[in-house]
Amino acid sequence: MDGALLTLWIMRLAFLALIYLFLIGVVRVLIRDLRAASREPATELGRLIVLASPSGEPAVGAVFALDAVTTIGRDVNNAVVIEDPFASSEHCALTFRGRSWYVEDLASTNGTFLNGSQVGGTAPMSFGDEIQVGEVRLRLERGRR
Amino acid sequence: MSAARQMALPALRWRALRPRARWRESVLLGLLAVTLVVGSASLGATERALAGHPPTFAAADPRALSLYLGMLFAVHLAQVLAGRRTDQVLLPAVGMLGGIGLLLMQRLPQDLVSQQIFGRTLVLGQLQLAWLVLALAVIGGLAVAVRSDRWLRLYKYTWAAAGIALLLLTLILGVDVNGARLSLRLGPLTGQPSELLKVMLVIFLAGYLSENRQLLVEQDTRLGPIRLPPLPYLAPMVAMWATALGIVVIERDLGAALLFFAVFLLLLYVATGRTSAIVLGLILFAVGAVLAYQLVGHVRTRVDIWLDPFADPGGAGYQVVQALHAFARGGIVGTGLGGGLPMVGGRLPIPELHTDFPFAALGEELGLAGILAILGVYLVVIERGLRIAAAAADDFRAILAAGLSLVVGVQAFIIAAGNLKLIPLTGITLPFISYGGSSLLTNAVVVGLLLAISDKGVEPPPPPGSRRRLSPRRLTGLLQRGAGQ
Repeated sequence: MDGALLTLWIMRLAFLALIYLFLIGVVRVLIRDLRAASREPATELGRLIVLASPSGEPAVGAVFALDAVTTIGRDVNNAVVIEDPFASSEHCALTFRGRSWYVEDLASTNGTFLNGSQVGGTAPMSFGDEIQVGEVRLRLERGRR
Repeated sequence: MSAARQMALPALRWRALRPRARWRESVLLGLLAVTLVVGSASLGATERALAGHPPTFAAADPRALSLYLGMLFAVHLAQVLAGRRTDQVLLPAVGMLGGIGLLLMQRLPQDLVSQQIFGRTLVLGQLQLAWLVLALAVIGGLAVAVRSDRWLRLYKYTWAAAGIALLLLTLILGVDVNGARLSLRLGPLTGQPSELLKVMLVIFLAGYLSENRQLLVEQDTRLGPIRLPPLPYLAPMVAMWATALGIVVIERDLGAALLFFAVFLLLLYVATGRTSAIVLGLILFAVGAVLAYQLVGHVRTRVDIWLDPFADPGGAGYQVVQALHAFARGGIVGTGLGGGLPMVGGRLPIPELHTDFPFAALGEELGLAGILAILGVYLVVIERGLRIAAAAADDFRAILAAGLSLVVGVQAFIIAAGNLKLIPLTGITLPFISYGGSSLLTNAVVVGLLLAISDKGVEPPPPPGSRRRLSPRRLTGLLQRGAGQ
């Protein structure tokens, strides 16, 4: 009977130990995953993706990582340069204040549009929103980590 | 025309097979298989020893276990063949919980539940296995087939309305079980719609909060020294609170009410980051709790039992007292699967053990070490959900992923804490472990959706145009396009 009891004990403890082994395996994957995430370059605050660009500059699908203040326009000194006949040289600026993004129209000739409606002054933006500068459409997305 | 078809259907797109290995998942699933086989062998040996035979190394029910493990690997294989880049930890974690639940259900007296299906009588262990296999099929189906979240995003009010309709239907046509009207009978099957309701609620909240996040974050209503979110946008919060109270009063479903309100508050915080909303919610909760205690007899009984279960240990407090004894018997490493007290005086030591108290049963048979590990697995599920949320491309998906994982996590916490007498006991299920088809299938939908959102190859969020409210003009346009198809 002693041998039988011992077998039962060993199996019980082996089951518990294996559950923990499984948990350790999972946690190792999680830690590796978190390390990989933190090794990547510093967090972007957001990114702009070009959805439509009739003139081809910037190209459709191009991605711009955003700083806290990003200016957009035709002038080469802008962070995001848009070669579009309908864009002003200093067209608009995207700013990250507090917890959210804002788009500010810099008195452009043809206006800046947020989800199809014209921006007068400054308007809050959320991830997934679309802005239109000249004939170029851009979408704001969460930054990669 | 193709756009209309995408709107109309949960964009299912079949591409040529593009296999992609998922090493982490296969390693974890292998580890899981070994663990469950040893657990099953331990259960079988204990049962044989109790019956007077010498223990041998053989699984308790090898066919059931191999069917379950086979289904897990089939879901894994389906994702590999379809080349999905979904989360690789969720499936093994959920598989572990389901496997432990299956072992527990095989170990309990089998005549607890029996059901006639196609002329065959299935009992507890077999039924749980059948539900688990169905649940895994749902997980695999959603993970492989869902390539777009448009059908969730676009119809959030429809989902909310469907949820409320389900709730009302339960009220009118429901069947009373143990004094709570929670079940809906459909032919031979009974289901608990409040389980499904929680998923619909999260989908609605994700849609609502992602659309109104800016307003909730930016504007203030000043109330003396406190700054609150704008009042019009708080109306849903108050409505939510009233709904939760309504569920408590009319359906007498304390657990679901607690779960809904907790998840709502957590999601409000996730979306806005405002502590003032949480404080206000907690105040509302306190007021609601006191009101419910004063006015609803059902609630008062539960709280009184919680405060002093030993006042009536053989009657009202019986379940809770027996659960506490079970935890005490279990000690650190437990009595081993199958070694706990099966029956006391011809009945189960804890009534409703298989649905409401599996945590206590596991506490007895696997001990403190076992239940800590199980809580660890729930934490892993929450961590994965929040990671998926953090990596999501836009607000809707982020809030949806956070909400789905929190629904599972909060539910596990509420029932585990209830079993341990940390909070008043509420009758909800322990996700993935408790017996029950509604619970298993709903949680499978949750995991399937989480996997689908986590896929790196999933369709990008739609342009904001489709987030616009549905105007009559747009609706007729959509209908015309649909008709033209």
